[in-house]
Amino acid sequence: MTRRPGKGRRQIALKDRLAPVLISLVSVVVVFGLIAWFVGTAPQWPRIQLQFFSIDAMLEAAPGVAKGFLVSLQIWLISLVAIGIWALILAIFRAMGGPWFAPLRVFAILYVDLFRGLPALLLVLLFGFGIPALNLPGLPKEGLFWGGIALVLSYSAYATEVYRSGIEAVHEGQSMAAKALGLSQWQTLRYAILPQALRNVVPAMLNLVVALQKDVALLSVLGVRDAVREAQIYTARTFNYSSLVVAAILFLLATIPLARLTDHLQRKDRQRRLQGAL
Amino acid sequence: MANKHNVLTLAMLALTAMLVVPALAQEKTPNDPRLFTPGKLTVSTSEPSYPPWVLDNNPEAGEGFEAALVYALAAELGFKKEDVVWVDVTFDGAIAPGPKAYDFSIQQISVTPDRAKVATFSDVYYQSDKAVIALPASTVASAKTFADLKAAKWGVAVGTTDFDYVTNVLGIADAAVYDDQAGVFQALQGGQIDATIAALPTALYATCCQVPEAKITALLPKDPKDEGLGLLFAYENPIVSWINEGLAGIKAKGTVDELVRKYLVADPNIPVIAE
Repeated sequence: MTRRPGKGRRQIALKDRLAPVLISLVSVVVVFGLIAWFVGTAPQWPRIQLQFFSIDAMLEAAPGVAKGFLVSLQIWLISLVAIGIWALILAIFRAMGGPWFAPLRVFAILYVDLFRGLPALLLVLLFGFGIPALNLPGLPKEGLFWGGIALVLSYSAYATEVYRSGIEAVHEGQSMAAKALGLSQWQTLRYAILPQALRNVVPAMLNLVVALQKDVALLSVLGVRDAVREAQIYTARTFNYSSLVVAAILFLLATIPLARLTDHLQRKDRQRRLQGAL
Repeated sequence: MANKHNVLTLAMLALTAMLVVPALAQEKTPNDPRLFTPGKLTVSTSEPSYPPWVLDNNPEAGEGFEAALVYALAAELGFKKEDVVWVDVTFDGAIAPGPKAYDFSIQQISVTPDRAKVATFSDVYYQSDKAVIALPASTVASAKTFADLKAAKWGVAVGTTDFDYVTNVLGIADAAVYDDQAGVFQALQGGQIDATIAALPTALYATCCQVPEAKITALLPKDPKDEGLGLLFAYENPIVSWINEGLAGIKAKGTVDELVRKYLVADPNIPVIAE
């Protein structure tokens, strides 16, 4: 006699939940299966397999590529710190109000226009080969150093704009409130605007972090033996490209966790803010 | 009726013979159907290509060791001069797997056992000494032994057997590796590296014209694993044996030696460091 609405709903829910999972599973298998079959039927496939996916060659190339990957990681981490700081300084220049700070604002605008407009590779070549060729006493000559500088200068231009978008996304009321409390311009920026702005830009910044990790490979034109260059060395020696696949795997191992971390941070931040709102 | 049938059979046979026999007879002639374009010898080289291998970056002129070698080879195989077609291909393009839009590539590619596993080479057409290139002021200029050489900062171009030489024969683990020879010379001029090595003919041209302030400071013994320069074909290209016959022909006639004397001679007074 008693109605049990719960049971019926649960059954429907289960069916509703299962069907889409099954459909996605089947469609994934069919689509990727078809692609794999199509690639496998290519007459050149056995040769491609031998030259790109040879396990023996991968194992042989792995130590060298891994050594290069450590070099990539070092350059990446050091540049990240430098970019984070330099871009923040530029963004603060840009955010400074008042006529006295006009030169700083102009500098920041010109800087971004210049370095965002030039290909990173061009900067790496200009700095890495150009400055040592000047033979100026007292300046370092390493390609690694000047290439790193070029990357920092280039990526800072993008990062500045990301910071700026974060700063501008903070509601105007925040700075007005800070002003009403008697905070100076610097204090407003330091205690009211930047803490909110930085939190806003984390996902966009992590995008740049991942992009930079891959662009470290540009320094190889200056003789730096990063993961990609070590892989090329192996390829040149044996004409076998499996070493490049090893490098690709290493890059993915580093960037995929980073992407998940970005998602996680974003979700946590959203939850926290929603709780505050409720 | 039977007569008519015989005539028809004969006609069919004649037609088949006309179609099939010439195709077989055409193998190892300029109309070999296995060529990329039958009737033409399609050869790829790098762009730019440098003296003394190709003069003026213009292989069609037939000047420079490799350009002249290709025309001598083409003549030996029965091609006319205008039947040689040149296409550009990078080193990376030449070594990539898959079918190629040319018959073979010639760009100072060294034959090694590792490479021969996945690519097909002709017989070796030239084997060069390795030369040390350094600025006269550098410590490398006065080096007497491998140990002296090892103390210097080295740079080489990726894709060359120069890298293997520096790593395996000289035992240098931290050589800088550039995209190309131009990057190496740039780094040498900027003082980022002390020395580089190159095949002797490349080194001769570099020190005369590309980086005149540098000089060849020593010659080094050959790397036993480097068999010399060969023509590079798509894997298991069937025309290799025919091309090899042509190469053997111009070697036997002394044409190759003559071209070596014309384009690749070295100053006999360069010191040799052998250990």
